Amino acid sequence: MTKISEMPAVARGFISNLELPVIDDPSWTQPVPANKRRISIVSTAAVHRRGDKPFSWLAKDFRAFHKSERDLVMTHVAVEFDRSAWQQDLNTIIPLERLEEMADDGEIGSVAEEHYSFMGAADPVTMEKSARQAAARMKQDGVNTVFLIPI
Amino acid sequence: MGRGMGKPNDRVFQKKVIREAFSLLDTDSGPVISDFPEVILVKDGRMGYALPPDLVLSVEDIGDVDAVLAEVKAEIADLRPDYETAVAARGRTTVGASGLEIEEFALFVAGFLNGEIPQSPRKDMPAIPLLKLVVEDLEAYFTETRTHRDSIDDLELMGKWFWEESKTGRMLLLLEAVSIASKNKVMLQIVEMSLMAPRFWSEGPLPGTSAAGW
Repeated sequence: MTKISEMPAVARGFISNLELPVIDDPSWTQPVPANKRRISIVSTAAVHRRGDKPFSWLAKDFRAFHKSERDLVMTHVAVEFDRSAWQQDLNTIIPLERLEEMADDGEIGSVAEEHYSFMGAADPVTMEKSARQAAARMKQDGVNTVFLIPI
Repeated sequence: MGRGMGKPNDRVFQKKVIREAFSLLDTDSGPVISDFPEVILVKDGRMGYALPPDLVLSVEDIGDVDAVLAEVKAEIADLRPDYETAVAARGRTTVGASGLEIEEFALFVAGFLNGEIPQSPRKDMPAIPLLKLVVEDLEAYFTETRTHRDSIDDLELMGKWFWEESKTGRMLLLLEAVSIASKNKVMLQIVEMSLMAPRFWSEGPLPGTSAAGW
C-alpha cells in the first residue's frame, strides 16, 4: 500500500483528480453473527471462467462463477496493477479456499454457491442495473454478507 | 493493487486480512473505515511495475519483422517446458484470456508491426481488443513460468525481466512505437492511457503522449 503523496507523477495526478462520491444517506444494516454469515465475493478484477465472454473496456455487466471454479482468466482493461500474485494463487484476490476453511472451522456460516466479478475500471454508477441483478441472485442463494474485494 | 489478501500462498496472512475485514462488521453503527495495521512496503510509491520513462523504442527500431517474430517464437518455445511444469504444479493457468493458442501469440502481435491492423482470428472480437488480451496472455505466460521455476514472488523483478530484458517485451515496446505513430484512434488510446505497456506508475508519461487519457 502507498500514499498518494508518495506516488509517481502520472498515478498521483490521476488519483488526486478522482472525485469521491458523496453518500447522503448511508444505510447500515446490522450484520448477522459471524457464524451465521453466508458470504459471496464481489471482485472488481474482471475475472471470469475461461470461455466466458471477455469484459469490454468499460463493461457495466458482471460474470458469475461457482465457488469450486478455479479455471479463471482476467480480461481487465487496466495494466497498472500487479498480476503476478493471482497468477500464483487465486486466493490473493478471490480467497475462496480461505473462506471454505473458515466455514469448516465455524468462523463463518458458509460460502455462497456463486461469486461475482465486475470490470473495476468502469464507473460504478453505470453498474446499478447489473448490481441489482447480482444482488437478486445472491438473495436466491441465501447470501447475507458480501465481501467486496477491489483489485 | 492486485494483492488484496496480501501475499500469494500465505494462508495465515490471507486469513489475517479477511478476519480484519470482517471485524469491521462487529460495530454497532457504520459505515466504518479502517487501515490494515500491517504495511507491505512497495518500491518508489508504486503498486505495480513501471517501465523506465526513457525506455522507449521507435518504429525505426523494428527492422526485419520476420527476424523479430522468429526470436520471439523461439523464446516462447524455450519457456514451454517450464510453463507446463508450472501449470501442472498449480493445477491452473491464467493464460488464455485471448482464446488463442500459445503458438499463435507472437504471430498475431507481429502482424501489427508493419503499421496495419491485421484481421482478428476471432469472429466475436475485433483485432485491437484482442491484441490487449494477447499481451495479457504473453505476460502471464512468462510470469507464471518464472515464479514457479525460480520460486520467486517479486513483481518488480518479473516486470523488469519481461519488459526490459526479454525479446517478447521488446516486441511489445516496438508495438507501442507503432501505436504512437498510428492513425488509428484506438491504437493511440492504448498508449495514451497506458493500456498495454506498464507506464501508469512511471515518473512521467510516455514521450510523444500527454497521458491525457488519465
